[in-house]
Amino acid sequence: MVGKEGIGSRIFDLVNTCMMLLLCVVMLYPFLNVIAISLSSSEHILRGDITIFPKGFNINGYSYIFKDPFLYSGYLHSIIYAAGSTFCMLAFTSLMAYPLTINDFVAKKFFAIFLVITMFFSGGMIPSYLLMRSLNLLDTYWVMIIPGCISAFNVLLFRSFYQSIPTDLRESAVIDGANDVQILFRIFLPLSKPLLATFALFGIVGSWNGWFEALVYLNDESKYPLQLILRKYLFTLSFEAGSGSAAMQAMLSQMKMDPKNIQMAIVVIVMFPIMLIYPFLQKYFVKGVMIGAVKG
Amino acid sequence: MANLRNFLGKSWNQRYLFLMVLPGFLIVLVFSYFPMYGIQIAFKKYSAARGIWESNWVGLKYFIMFFNDPTALRVLKNTLLLGIYSLLWGFPAPIILALLFNEIKNSVFKKLVQTISYLPHFISTVIIIGIIRTFTEREGLFNKIASFFGVDPIVFLSEPSWFRTIFISSNIWQGIGFGTILYLAALSSINPALYDAANIDGASRWRKVLHINWPHIKSTTIILLIFSVSGILGTDFQKVLLLYSPDTYEVADVIGTFLYREGIIGARFEYTTAIGLFQSVVAFILLVAANMISRKVSDTSLW
Repeated sequence: MVGKEGIGSRIFDLVNTCMMLLLCVVMLYPFLNVIAISLSSSEHILRGDITIFPKGFNINGYSYIFKDPFLYSGYLHSIIYAAGSTFCMLAFTSLMAYPLTINDFVAKKFFAIFLVITMFFSGGMIPSYLLMRSLNLLDTYWVMIIPGCISAFNVLLFRSFYQSIPTDLRESAVIDGANDVQILFRIFLPLSKPLLATFALFGIVGSWNGWFEALVYLNDESKYPLQLILRKYLFTLSFEAGSGSAAMQAMLSQMKMDPKNIQMAIVVIVMFPIMLIYPFLQKYFVKGVMIGAVKG
Repeated sequence: MANLRNFLGKSWNQRYLFLMVLPGFLIVLVFSYFPMYGIQIAFKKYSAARGIWESNWVGLKYFIMFFNDPTALRVLKNTLLLGIYSLLWGFPAPIILALLFNEIKNSVFKKLVQTISYLPHFISTVIIIGIIRTFTEREGLFNKIASFFGVDPIVFLSEPSWFRTIFISSNIWQGIGFGTILYLAALSSINPALYDAANIDGASRWRKVLHINWPHIKSTTIILLIFSVSGILGTDFQKVLLLYSPDTYEVADVIGTFLYREGIIGARFEYTTAIGLFQSVVAFILLVAANMISRKVSDTSLW
């Protein structure tokens, strides 16, 4: 068959390959550029001639950032929020989905409808904010961990995954005298490990990258997650020269640093954990999207 | 009576099942249903001291206010336009890319390109904004390219006319690769015998795409289109919030950002709740309508 390919087909292959290479460049260049800028000297940054290699190599941006205690507190809080919300999501979702797979469960239909309604209707930003305020949850760790941890969509996904587990397994366990808690923890959850791993990654990445809830619900900067610390640096150290505080400007010029040096350094620091686990991450995410698609 | 006893007895036997549902139930009840209950302040004069229930009714006051507020109408228009343009440009992009991926013959190269194209999806919006700012500033890459073509430097992020372009193209950059996954899954389920048959018939590659590949991704496309249409008002306002500035409010300010500014920062709770309610009602109508049209036209629908 290969020999029969027309000239048009071969030209297409060539063009397609070139387009794909271009795509890779477009996808990767911004990240390489950011890393290069974070390691470059201010005169090259001002001239804007940095591509993917640092010019006038230095690590002043990083040494500045690493002196900021908020960076560490941001890292710590991002980890707390990501770990807490992911743990709660996995625990409560896997618990809630199990009874919904049991046809005999008296309230199965009620809870299913109870969940589905939330997929179509929600209170919205302002009523949610007022609720958190009246529950005194503003500026607490809880507000970053509990409210978002159950989503109807996830529960229904877990349910359909459980349903793919042969019912014989459950029935024979019941005959052996196991109760439902034992069945869930000894049979269903061990069989759901791939699902749990996928959702753990979803949860961790979602929480790590999220920032808006923190902006709305947290005022106390010492509880900020990393993304808000990054946001602060991006917004208060302005790119255009002349703005920003005079003391800051003086300090920066003394250190021969451009604000962008610092900003790109913190961008790299925030990006780093995601990049580190990326190969692993994308594989599971692709699987996760498929699980969702089969269901949806 | 016997029925009730029977039901209660069965429920008691299933008490572990109820216990399992309980934590999730409470969280959904409090954090999803209580805010729905709170929507009623859209029709009330909210007083924190008296609580939601005790506050006085004011009828449609805030809705009337909304339709007479030029800023709010501008916000509505911006939301719609940004949504429509995002759909027009952003929706076809992953389909085209998936079809192109599918034509790559070397599987190692294909895998590599796919993996690289997913990368921006995993990066947080705040970082993306940092990158956009770097690229669009006076000495940034885009101005370098512009000056190569003899165009004067543009301060992109302060230019209302550039806002939508920057917003939508960066969205596409971020989502195009990951958006191909579902289409590629549909494409990979195609029976190779179909291609063999087409080859015997002497079909060109373009014909094969048209008559084999496209029919196989059509239902995926329609489902995702229904979601996209119903999400037309649900612009990623968090990204807008990081990207806009008073200079660009005239095109960039959307419902979400307006709610945040006026509601959370400005504490106009009732008014912004009314706008939020209006937005969800329209989104719901769009979902139902898109689903209905698709069921009529193509036999594919969500329900």
